[in-house]
Amino acid sequence: MAKREKRIEVLNLVKQFGDYTAVNNVSFKVYENEFFSLLGPSGCGKTTTLRCISGLEEPTAGEISISGQVMTSAEENLMVPPERREIGMVFQNYAVWPHMTVERNISYPLRLAKKSKREIAAKLDYLLDLLELQGLEKRFPSELSGGQQQRVALGRALSTDPKVMLLDEPLSNLDAKLREQMRFELKDLQQKTGISILYVTHDQVEAMAMSDRVAVMKKGDIVQEGSPHEIYENPKDQFVADFIGTMNFLPCTVTAKTDQGVNVRLGNGAEFGLDSGAERGDYILAVRPEDIVLGSEEGTDCEVDVRIFLGNLIEYRVRLGEDYLRVQTDASLRLEPGDQSRLMIKHGLIFPK
Amino acid sequence: MPAKSAVKKRSFDIRNVLMVFILLFFLAIIVYPLFLVVVKSVSTKTGLSLENYRKILLSSANMKAFWNSLWVSSVATLLCVTAGAGLAMFVVRTDIPGKSWLKMLLLLPYGIPPFIGAMAWAQLFGPVGYVSRLYTNLTGAFSAPWNIYSAAVVVIVLAVYQFPVVFITISGALGKIDTSLEEASRMSGAGPLRTLIDVTLPLITPAILASSLLAFVGCISNFGIPALLGFRARFFVLTTRIYSALAIPDMTLATAMAVLLAVTAGIPLLLAKRLERRSGKFTVISGKSVRPQTIKLGIWRIPIFAVVLTIALFAGVVPLLSMIITSFLTYWGAPLNSANMTFDHYKYILNLPMAVRAFRNSAFLATLAATITMFIGALVSYMSLRAKMKGAKVLDFMGTIPYAVPCVMVAIAMILAWSKPPLVLYGTIWVILAAYLVRYMPFSIRTTNATLQQVHFSLEEAARVSGAGWAQTMKDVVLPLIKPGLVAGWILVFMPALRELTISVLLWSQGAETLGVVIYNMQDAGYTQIAAALSTVVLFVILSGNAIVRKLSKGEITI
Repeated sequence: MAKREKRIEVLNLVKQFGDYTAVNNVSFKVYENEFFSLLGPSGCGKTTTLRCISGLEEPTAGEISISGQVMTSAEENLMVPPERREIGMVFQNYAVWPHMTVERNISYPLRLAKKSKREIAAKLDYLLDLLELQGLEKRFPSELSGGQQQRVALGRALSTDPKVMLLDEPLSNLDAKLREQMRFELKDLQQKTGISILYVTHDQVEAMAMSDRVAVMKKGDIVQEGSPHEIYENPKDQFVADFIGTMNFLPCTVTAKTDQGVNVRLGNGAEFGLDSGAERGDYILAVRPEDIVLGSEEGTDCEVDVRIFLGNLIEYRVRLGEDYLRVQTDASLRLEPGDQSRLMIKHGLIFPK
Repeated sequence: MPAKSAVKKRSFDIRNVLMVFILLFFLAIIVYPLFLVVVKSVSTKTGLSLENYRKILLSSANMKAFWNSLWVSSVATLLCVTAGAGLAMFVVRTDIPGKSWLKMLLLLPYGIPPFIGAMAWAQLFGPVGYVSRLYTNLTGAFSAPWNIYSAAVVVIVLAVYQFPVVFITISGALGKIDTSLEEASRMSGAGPLRTLIDVTLPLITPAILASSLLAFVGCISNFGIPALLGFRARFFVLTTRIYSALAIPDMTLATAMAVLLAVTAGIPLLLAKRLERRSGKFTVISGKSVRPQTIKLGIWRIPIFAVVLTIALFAGVVPLLSMIITSFLTYWGAPLNSANMTFDHYKYILNLPMAVRAFRNSAFLATLAATITMFIGALVSYMSLRAKMKGAKVLDFMGTIPYAVPCVMVAIAMILAWSKPPLVLYGTIWVILAAYLVRYMPFSIRTTNATLQQVHFSLEEAARVSGAGWAQTMKDVVLPLIKPGLVAGWILVFMPALRELTISVLLWSQGAETLGVVIYNMQDAGYTQIAAALSTVVLFVILSGNAIVRKLSKGEITI
């Protein structure tokens, strides 16, 4: 991999509010032309981290650099105010100024930067075009839909061609359909502009869909960092496994080590082989719904409990002894609730109890 | 390579200096004078003791006044809460015709100063009043069977002028109830009446309780109504009794009774505040305004409308008309016809130096009071809500103390604090200004707090990340957004200050008369039409101001 420029570098960031530690020693880097997401449940410290980078929050300890410049360093008592960091930011509630028109909202940073009239007009033109806001220049935010306000906020953040853009749950206030559409638009925008995006969200689907890399946060710490694919395939612990995608958790026992891995026994007595290096003992088995084959010739007995039609897929809830499992199959397999069947586990992960 | 030159963390902040200034100002003008009142009330020749309070309790006249205050305020509260809840129910929740008109009429007395209202009621129901004459003409009786100068009328008029607050609170709560709660009750098998009793009433109970407590405080602190309608019947309450004590002057008695009044009014205020905090836990208010279900009145629709309309007219329009007519009447008691109408009283007040002075003084005082309190209020709000500066909460608290202090006590505090060297303000217009600043500080801080809270943090932060510094953000984002709120708040202080009575009647001096004082003295001396002409002008200014505020705040604030 060619050496890429670091756009954001966070080093041992700590932020405390009184006795409460919101961010606990977090470090990560965002490179040029990268879409990087901080993902985690509410209260995990992701927004606080973002606000520290923007300069709106002062960290308790640690160092933050943007484009190679140290912006915040608690050790050196250094704190560049937000207005001098040259970053774009999009807020969760958009924060589009209600007393300014679309045009004035977007061009505000340009006017502060004392750009010439011609430059401002040209930039405005480009952004209105890019964000499909033509014809709305003279409108006030109250006359716009949520999606349009969102795009105005994006335009404002992009207007000064920042190298770094921070987005704080920008899609959470949109309805489902628009949210999905905006995912494509954001990704597209990032590719077109080559900007580095730091994206904060609690929505794992959103993070997976858009990010080049994702950092999963929990209680102020980064638990795992990697590409969406890596994290999905190899969640580091039960928390990440549960948070990313859908996952079944079953108590299990590793009974023996084999050449291919281990032998695993489930609660109902079924035994099968799994690729793992675990020692003998009691564990939790994590299996994705798509890693289970339902209606197989071999495997363990189960009973269909509930069926949900998802269009291209069918999701079943099946009973396996005393445990319930979610299984996804293609739409060709038709089983009714109460039917007896068999299932096989193709792939699973083992976590300590 | 950190850009260190640019970066420094501020060790010196201009805002800290401002904070210290405001702190000293509050200490001097609010805390110190009020402290003096309490000290004075417990000082005797032999030292500090509760002797003065014992004297009050032993004097039957003082105890009588205290007792009168309690029962008059309680009965008036009961009256206006019953009426307020009932009328709110009819206006908000039934298919009564002309809802918005009725609502406006019922809220009209809000704009009318209580002492002017008392004068109007004296004009209507007094010995030669319009309604009294109508009664004698119709029945042939020698005189009307009621006496306007009596405790009962004090109660009624107090209730009328506390009514709007209660009505606003309860109808507001009614309008904001999540209607699905009521619909759920209907679906569970309860009829409209059952639903009202089992679901609606419990939901608005906190609003009813809180507004009754506030109404009680309003009644017990009122001076104008018991003064104009009670003095002649030798019916005294605490406020009028304190007024007499100051005329003697007996400062010890006055201070002790003022503290007694402050405590009696303070307890319900505390309760109301606790209630507010506790009821916040129940989500009575859903936030979104859903169209509430209306109860069909059927054949009762028109009769009920007639009753509500009569009440609504007598609350505001009728007194207002009476005041206007009286101001044109050649002599008080003259038959109502065009021959007896004249502009003389208006010409007279234009040439009366005292009246002209009063206009000038009141305008001057109200302008300064509104400007200074709004300016300080905005700073305090910004420091405590936005900059989150340590210590700003203390300023917020100090500035809102006077909310719990009755006007008479504020006036006494000013007398005690500012009549001795080095700073003698008593006897000048400045002592009234000082009192107004104390009185209206809480209102300003409350409006600026509310206004600032409507501007979401992120709007400011968006400006910061867009490249604007602190001052630039204030100029481009914060100030434009809070400007309508500040203007409305300014008028909200200006209007009541313009017609203030209780404080200025205790603090005025030759040359420093206010409008309230001149109107009160004219009425007291029997110049009914002169007082009416002055009142009409004041009412005109107030009602137009009210309309402006309503427009500015889109109907969310009224005076």
